[in-house]
Amino acid sequence: MVKISRKRTHIFFLLMAGYSLVSFFPFIWSLSTSFKKQDEVFNMNILPHHATAGAYTTVLSKIQPNFLSLFFNSLFIAVIVVILHITLAGLAGYAFARLRFPGRNALFYLVLGTMMIPDQLRLVPIYQILVKLHLITPHPLNYLGIFLVKAVSAADIFLMRQYFLTLPRELDDAAKIDGAGPLQTFLRVMLPNAKPVIATVGILTFQGTWNELFWPSIILQAPNHWTLPFGILQFKGQFSTDWPPIMALVVLSTLPILLIYIFCQRYIINLQLSSSVKG
Amino acid sequence: MSLQVTTLQRHLKEKKRKKLKEAFVGWSFISIPMFLFITMNIGVLFFAIYMSFHDWGIMGSRGNVGMKYYKAAFHDHIFLKAIRNSILYALIVVPLQTALGLFLAIIINAKIRGAKFFRATFYFPSIASSAAITTLFIFLMAPDGIFNKILSFFGVDIANLFNQGAWLSDSRTALYSIIGLNAWTTSGTMMLFYLANLQTVDGTYVEAAAIDGATPRQIFWKITMPLLKPAHFFVMASGMIGALQLYDQAILAGGADGSPDYSLMTMVLYIYNLSFRHFEFGYAAAIGVILFAIIFALTVAQRYAFGNSAWNTDG
Repeated sequence: MVKISRKRTHIFFLLMAGYSLVSFFPFIWSLSTSFKKQDEVFNMNILPHHATAGAYTTVLSKIQPNFLSLFFNSLFIAVIVVILHITLAGLAGYAFARLRFPGRNALFYLVLGTMMIPDQLRLVPIYQILVKLHLITPHPLNYLGIFLVKAVSAADIFLMRQYFLTLPRELDDAAKIDGAGPLQTFLRVMLPNAKPVIATVGILTFQGTWNELFWPSIILQAPNHWTLPFGILQFKGQFSTDWPPIMALVVLSTLPILLIYIFCQRYIINLQLSSSVKG
Repeated sequence: MSLQVTTLQRHLKEKKRKKLKEAFVGWSFISIPMFLFITMNIGVLFFAIYMSFHDWGIMGSRGNVGMKYYKAAFHDHIFLKAIRNSILYALIVVPLQTALGLFLAIIINAKIRGAKFFRATFYFPSIASSAAITTLFIFLMAPDGIFNKILSFFGVDIANLFNQGAWLSDSRTALYSIIGLNAWTTSGTMMLFYLANLQTVDGTYVEAAAIDGATPRQIFWKITMPLLKPAHFFVMASGMIGALQLYDQAILAGGADGSPDYSLMTMVLYIYNLSFRHFEFGYAAAIGVILFAIIFALTVAQRYAFGNSAWNTDG
């Protein structure tokens, strides 16, 4: 690509090193603060003088609803939404890529067009609909409201379709000759060959749902249904400027995503490659 | 003769039957997703438009009010503040995050030492939840926080600064602070998009230009940038749609009123306020429709500006 002179390379390297510090340091700082005592919070030292895990015991024992409930709600919602996205986007993506039926292109563009409808426009009517369906309730049926809103994703259908387009036709033909029906072809032949895109869709959906504040903060009623980001919003007010427990909550809620990022980085970067817009 | 005709007819019939079967299978595969798109996306869009012409309370419609809310919106100083904030925010943050993302991508793509490490760390701020990262940001930007400590280390007199270092609680700097936060967190995603697209730029053009004696600067502006046009469209359009929907960071830093002094009030936050604090669902729907109209117009305008190639979905 663009060649850069040797002297410039050094300057760019220093610039990049500086910016990576800007990218990473705030997280180190939150980790450091979570082990400090309140009176040390605004000191500049990275290593606490009197390291204490007190903030973590506060977060794990004192907040209501408790941390584990927030954690498992986030996990439960994220896992179900991942399953929904993979199943529904897989079916639709395969149909749009491979099966011939009247209205295929029109419906596909309709799906893409929904990406322009902002969630906040949906918010007002969807809330009315969920109230009518009795899903805005402290009963566990409340979760169903989230799943209804988040079950389909146009972006994931797009990704799945693009991937299925790249698979060789011979795969379908071979399955057909072996007497497999369409559903069997999809389940036995197509899905096993689509593992990379399934991983990408799964990981990104998990990350997005785990991190989401908007819909949970509107739909989830009873505190025992709240998720971690909603919990952070609530406790930030409650703890006010008691920073160590707030930072401990930040650290604990980011940790699962960090682990996924470290181990699945290639799938996340994969997404950008597979969805890159072609001219 | 007649035998041949019947064979042909049978053959055509068989073909038609197969076609019909495939169509049936196709429709059944997309039936559940399409049902959800039609009800939960397209249907609610029309429902929202319908609601926006009604005085709509908790129990439903209290009567048709025509264009009342659309007219009211343009005399509502909180709404005018919200629309101004949302547009100002989008106009600054989108070029900022795009330029930063492009810059980072180009340097990483030039294969400097540690490119993989840099790619991983630059994307890192994009993976944490907005709740976590905004909370962390509020802590860093607090009057006693590390940001001001670093400023004073470089000789800035915080106590005599125009906002006394209260970046998020001064109405003059709150929105710009959130712009800084989001340019930082989003540029990682933009970088990855550009990196992917830079890999599809055909190296032969660059080589040919270099042989013809073009300078690296000329190569960048005359070859790389034009070839990245589809990527620019995608990054700017999706960036714009995202920016106009600013909500999480605003409610976390400024509460439901976008404090201080509505400086963090955005269109979306106002929709939330009207719905869940004032129960004015009709008015909230009208503002949602205005937001949708703005997003739609901008997307179409950007598409014209960058040409049609960007949405060539047939890959």
